[in-house]
Amino acid sequence: MANLKDIRDRIKSVKSIQKVTKAMKMVAAAKMRKAQERMEQARPYSNSVSEVIQHLLPDVDRGRLPLLDKREIKRKAYVVVCADRGLAGAFNTNLLKIAQKEIDEFGKNQVDIFCIGKKARDHFTYRNYNIIESHVDFWAEMEFENAMMIGRSAIDHFKSGIVDEIHVVYNYFVNVAQQEVRSETLLPLAYETDESQPTDRLYEPSKEELVDTLIPRHLNVQMWKYLLESYASEQAARMLSMENATSNAQDMIKDLTLQFNKARQAAITTEMLEIVGGAEALG
Amino acid sequence: MSSFNLDIVTPIKELKLGQVTYLRCPGIDGAFGVMNNHRQGILALTVGEIKISQDGKDEYFATGGGFAEIMDNSVKLLVESIEPSNAIDSDRAQKSLERAKKRKLERNPDFNADRVEVSLVRAMNRLRVSKR
Repeated sequence: MANLKDIRDRIKSVKSIQKVTKAMKMVAAAKMRKAQERMEQARPYSNSVSEVIQHLLPDVDRGRLPLLDKREIKRKAYVVVCADRGLAGAFNTNLLKIAQKEIDEFGKNQVDIFCIGKKARDHFTYRNYNIIESHVDFWAEMEFENAMMIGRSAIDHFKSGIVDEIHVVYNYFVNVAQQEVRSETLLPLAYETDESQPTDRLYEPSKEELVDTLIPRHLNVQMWKYLLESYASEQAARMLSMENATSNAQDMIKDLTLQFNKARQAAITTEMLEIVGGAEALG
Repeated sequence: MSSFNLDIVTPIKELKLGQVTYLRCPGIDGAFGVMNNHRQGILALTVGEIKISQDGKDEYFATGGGFAEIMDNSVKLLVESIEPSNAIDSDRAQKSLERAKKRKLERNPDFNADRVEVSLVRAMNRLRVSKR
């Protein structure tokens, strides 16, 4: 049986770990709520932008819009949206596994990667993939600017003809207990059109030019949504795993306390036996 | 004076301003004004200043561009950013303007002319609007 002091020290350390996991859980819960709120706030803008594009597209010569251009796919790009930090259960591992599998299926050398989050960058750098750009360390003070920057470089990459398709792999926020890794095509843009035309409208500049400026905006919002989904998922995953860690720590404390009491009683019993034995020997 | 409904929508917030009498926007082909019963349309906006007249008072906002959807007696502005003139910290705007200017002169290896130009224009606009 372990000695009393060792057990007491272990209980103390487990208790302090439990404090940390509990605090992390609460921080993650607060951050998750914030991300969810921002997701709500982004919705009106993104809906309106898509609506207008849907109205304009039927009248526009689509051959002139490079971002809708479906080309033969010789080379792809992947935007992998991950977290900067771990301690969030299988959040990063799951996503990276799926992203890597998809990339490998197409051919590692025919894929360019945009890494969002340190975990993605480290994973693909270590395995020698073609990384075009990495965006890290922005999650804490995430602004729409970040999404715009990522969106812009992805659009440039597609427009210049380096890649013929851009995918995004991210964690979709189903609910607090569930996140789902999703892979979606960002470019070329697939679009439904709405033929019901409001009559006699003024367009300035031309419809073509309008669509041309609207599509990048739409993509930026899309990217912003991906970032928010991922961030909310990350915090939810962390919240859950920290909750598990806290309750595991509770179990450990229970076991250790039991062990400690047993050891203490055994020590007392031994001591009493010694006294009794000693008294008998004297008597 | 007759008025119309104005909503400003950005990716991070939604401002429902209610009834306003006049709106001036920085269109790509020059500034334009909107009053009640304006013809319907969609107009692209560039970086600049938005003026709104409401209850006899004028308010000024800095915007990063977007577009205006003019509907039957209501206008929706979809812009990437919007800041009321009194909320802009002019010292900070001044500093970011200087930063952008410096970057333009330095031409680092990862220098991107378009991007620097955009941030320069934005910083100048914010500074100008903050002095309103």
